[in-house]
Amino acid sequence: MDNQMAKNKLSPRRRLVNFLVHLLLAVLALIWVLPIAWIVLTSFRAEPGAYTKTFLPQGYTLNNYVKLLTDRNVLNFPRMFKNTLIISIFSCTISTFFVLSVAYSLSRMRFKFRKPYMNLAMILGLFPGFMTMVAQYFILKAMGLTEGAGIRIGLIVVYSACTGLGFQISKGFFDTIPRSIDEAAVMDGATQWQVFTRITLPLSKPIVIYTVMTAFMAPWVDFIFAKVLCRANADQFTVAIGLWNMLQKEYIYQWYTCFAAGAVLISIPIAILFLYMQRFYVEGMTGAVKG
Amino acid sequence: MKNINLTRRQILALGMSGAFTMALSACGGGNGGGGNGGGEGGDEAVNATITVWGPQEDQSADNGNWLQTQCEAFAAEHPDWTLNFKYGVCPEGDAKTNIGTDPSAGADVSMFANDQIPDLLKAGGIAKLGGGTLDAIKANNSETTVNTVTYDGAVYGVPFTGNTWFMYYDKSVFSDEDVKSLDAMLEKGKVAFPLDNSWYIAAFYVANGCTLFGADGGDAAAGFDFSGDKAAAVTDYLVDLVANKNFANGDVGTNADAKAFFSGTWDYQKAVDAYGDNLGIAAAPSITIDGELKQMKAFAGSKAIGVNPATALYGEHPQVAVALAAYLGGTSAQQAHFDTRNIIPTDVNITVDDALAQAQMDAMDFASIVQPLQADMGNYWTPAESMGKELVAGTVTHDNAADKTEAMNTSMNTSAVQ
Amino acid sequence: MNEDQINVRNALKDGDLFTRLSAVVMGAGMFGHKQVVKGVVVLLIEIAFWVFMGTAGFYNLSMLPSLGTQEQGEVWNEAKQIYEYTAGDNSQQILLYGVITCFVVAGIVALWILQMRHSYKLQKLIEDGEEVPTLRDDIKSLFDGNLHITLMSLPCIGILIFNIVPLVYMISMAFTTYSKEDEHLILFDWDGIHQFLRVLNMNGNIGRQFWHVLAWTIIWAIFATFLNYILGMVLALIINRKDTKGKAFWRFCFVLSVAVPQFVTLMIMNIMLQPSGAVNVLFQNLGLIKEPIPFWTNAMLARVTIIAINLWVGIPYTMLQVTGILQNIPGELYEAARMDGAGPMRIFFKITLPYMLFVTAPYLISSFVGNINNFNVIYLLSGGGPTRVGDTAGQTDLLVTWLYKLTIDQQYYNLGAVIGIMTFVILTIVTLVTYRNSSSYKNEEAFM
Repeated sequence: MDNQMAKNKLSPRRRLVNFLVHLLLAVLALIWVLPIAWIVLTSFRAEPGAYTKTFLPQGYTLNNYVKLLTDRNVLNFPRMFKNTLIISIFSCTISTFFVLSVAYSLSRMRFKFRKPYMNLAMILGLFPGFMTMVAQYFILKAMGLTEGAGIRIGLIVVYSACTGLGFQISKGFFDTIPRSIDEAAVMDGATQWQVFTRITLPLSKPIVIYTVMTAFMAPWVDFIFAKVLCRANADQFTVAIGLWNMLQKEYIYQWYTCFAAGAVLISIPIAILFLYMQRFYVEGMTGAVKG
Repeated sequence: MKNINLTRRQILALGMSGAFTMALSACGGGNGGGGNGGGEGGDEAVNATITVWGPQEDQSADNGNWLQTQCEAFAAEHPDWTLNFKYGVCPEGDAKTNIGTDPSAGADVSMFANDQIPDLLKAGGIAKLGGGTLDAIKANNSETTVNTVTYDGAVYGVPFTGNTWFMYYDKSVFSDEDVKSLDAMLEKGKVAFPLDNSWYIAAFYVANGCTLFGADGGDAAAGFDFSGDKAAAVTDYLVDLVANKNFANGDVGTNADAKAFFSGTWDYQKAVDAYGDNLGIAAAPSITIDGELKQMKAFAGSKAIGVNPATALYGEHPQVAVALAAYLGGTSAQQAHFDTRNIIPTDVNITVDDALAQAQMDAMDFASIVQPLQADMGNYWTPAESMGKELVAGTVTHDNAADKTEAMNTSMNTSAVQ
Repeated sequence: MNEDQINVRNALKDGDLFTRLSAVVMGAGMFGHKQVVKGVVVLLIEIAFWVFMGTAGFYNLSMLPSLGTQEQGEVWNEAKQIYEYTAGDNSQQILLYGVITCFVVAGIVALWILQMRHSYKLQKLIEDGEEVPTLRDDIKSLFDGNLHITLMSLPCIGILIFNIVPLVYMISMAFTTYSKEDEHLILFDWDGIHQFLRVLNMNGNIGRQFWHVLAWTIIWAIFATFLNYILGMVLALIINRKDTKGKAFWRFCFVLSVAVPQFVTLMIMNIMLQPSGAVNVLFQNLGLIKEPIPFWTNAMLARVTIIAINLWVGIPYTMLQVTGILQNIPGELYEAARMDGAGPMRIFFKITLPYMLFVTAPYLISSFVGNINNFNVIYLLSGGGPTRVGDTAGQTDLLVTWLYKLTIDQQYYNLGAVIGIMTFVILTIVTLVTYRNSSSYKNEEAFM
């Protein structure tokens, strides 16, 4: 009873605090949503160009989407989309396998190379990424992966080859799974491989999904290495190169609104995926640092 | 023999068996020191794949597949050559990046902006032209145009269109007389100029006698002369210009109320959208410094077609690559280029009746200097851009104009790493 | 059998015929000691090695000291009316192939040692009358006790080829004359530590800028990391308050921005904040300002803007990442604090923050490192600008974007490599000091 009374007494102040908190959240949400809304509006804008006299469009049209999806004149967006999708699916599969394998080995197995590997991974992560770019190009060239359809394989290789260095979060998650479960399985005659595939992985759904998501997104956002490797092979361009090109001097006036349309189109699948998987993302991260 | 050396080195370097057989077969085709004579009739039989790079617009059906059409026409003219064309997309401005990284994997024939010649040359990605090809270039183009593709006395590309900027304006605001003087225009209406872009800002300094690599841009040792009173006077002028209410930095895209702006052929559509029927096009105006009218001088360059000596095709059949480049930059191809994409020709044998073409030709004629092709030209861009940006930001004032100008000049004349 | 005695010296000294033969014919020791398949595989590797060395390896190594001297030749062919070119040496490729060959040699040496020891071990097993593992046993163990070998081989090969080899190659570039200076883009030579001295010399143009850029890089990384971290955490706390209504809705609003690819957001932000971009237009139309705000041309403002936009990009991520962890903070801690009459601010700084810092130290370190190397944000937003007249580095350039300008735009590859190495050295110091002191490193088992 006393407690209840105290609560009611505090009520006006509490209500004020609550009001202020919600107001703050509303303002913040506006700041976060406004640019996104602006991109969406721009994608429906009738007037061309990057700069306009007014914040909101004067006229609305679907033509930007139509142009983006049908124009073969300057940029072949559907083909870029297909290229990127293929690259993402493969590189995502390989990277997920790499990351989880390395994380599991480091978490569960004990071998001489273990500590050195973890230190090495930390050190290698400190070098600026694109320092390795030119050399990677020539290595891929020696493998014959810089011409024609080879470029696609080249990009898959580059996006997945070094993912074994990013094991930390997954390892942290595996570390939280009680070892007693493994030990019980081993007693029952399971091999390490069976423990990994039949016990650890099913118990680690959040982190598997987290890894898949991060790996899947990489090819959609890389415009630097993709440009180096694709050079003039327009049939191999990825979405990121296409979007980048739309903002170049020659194209920006005619293509800016299509750029916005492209941004919206590639964001939709990622957004759905992300909103749906949000829970796993949170769980994965939480598990990774749990005490 | 030379070829055999090349392939041997490749094999050794690569150490990959795949390249081995290909390289050997490449030797087989060998060139026993010429003899078969190039030129028009009587081509030696050639069976080759030739890679051509150009901008996407030249290769799309909507614009009449200019590149493909011309390449087919070229093949038809040479019945003895069985050619298989491979096309790549590389805007003229990206040739240096796309070829420079690895010339041996670059296109055999590609289109590039003339200011990339020094970089392409340093990377070993562009071949010198000579003999009949050179004679034809000189016969078909004005001297200014030929100069744009001349580096250290040698010609490196077949020019096919000019590349410079001029002025788009609203005829209902400015009269024909007004557009001859920037100061007169500023009294009538808003003028936008991309002051923070170093490709444009030089026009003011050059107007008042500043030079890049000597009077004709050919003297590497002379360096940049953006110093002394003549340059400081321009900076002073620009400080006032920025302060003028009728001046804006940028173009009509960034300042929708601008009644005149400066750009090139690529922004024609933007100008039409902005001014409609009142669109006027003219060369850059004069500016008034110390009471005298001085003509602004834009950088003029060209877009050209060049051949890459580092490719396998050039090693075997250089004559094919050179002939194709000459053909793509030749009279009939330029005419077709104008018909399909409004690319303004450089060929003096073609007459075009078009305001845009006229403005560009006028600009090339009296309102421009050839953008110097010097290795040290690279030191120009950043200091000039910084000057423009500082002017726009208002950190350059009448008090420090002279000092800032000297600093810019010093910086242009020192390598970035000294 | 004493593991300590299994080494190469003993193998050579006490080995039987097969073991000693292994020193020349690799795999012989296994072949002779009942492990035929493994022996054959090792022998095949050795043969492949010698074929490679014969066709390319020795040549690659021999070119390494000089890095090539042959210039591209140019001859006028009168008959064809063409300039003919002979290929010259390309130092860049010579260096790369040289580095690769060194790695191949190191690899075969390692394999040689391993197979010597293994042969000797097999020999001892047989002498002691113990059972030699069959191929089947070996394969079985690869899925059990030696599972790490199966799982980690491919990732390690990937890292070796696409990370370590390129890095060694880039590092060696720092010791050459590879730059556009004096036309050293195709042919270049070894140059010792000249470029390092240049960067470290505070009086030189490059040296002076280096220290400026370094200072801003560190300031940026501190702001970007900790502001993101703390504000993201505060946001998560506010949303997860007991009294906050519509939690899912608020979270949705913020998470939406995560869905748009980062480089797209950044490119759009850059345009929105231009003098005639959407933001200035909005403010001007609302009558809040007369002149556009110079977001990118004023150095101080550009820095603040970059940090602010980075918050926009980063806070939702942080919010998501810490949400779950925050809920793990033991409730007793809060109860105790409330008993003492602490307000929300006090609780945050006394309990929440210390707990979170303790738990997420490794995450913070990696995000600090990520921010020092945060190329996209700077490159796509300000491009490093504004730049003072006379400088190569802009006032918002980080070491990593300056490195990009020096290499890709200006072609000073050697200087770029030096700056890359310096960045690495600084990061190593920061990381080692913090990481080694963090509890998670000291007590990995108990904590992570």
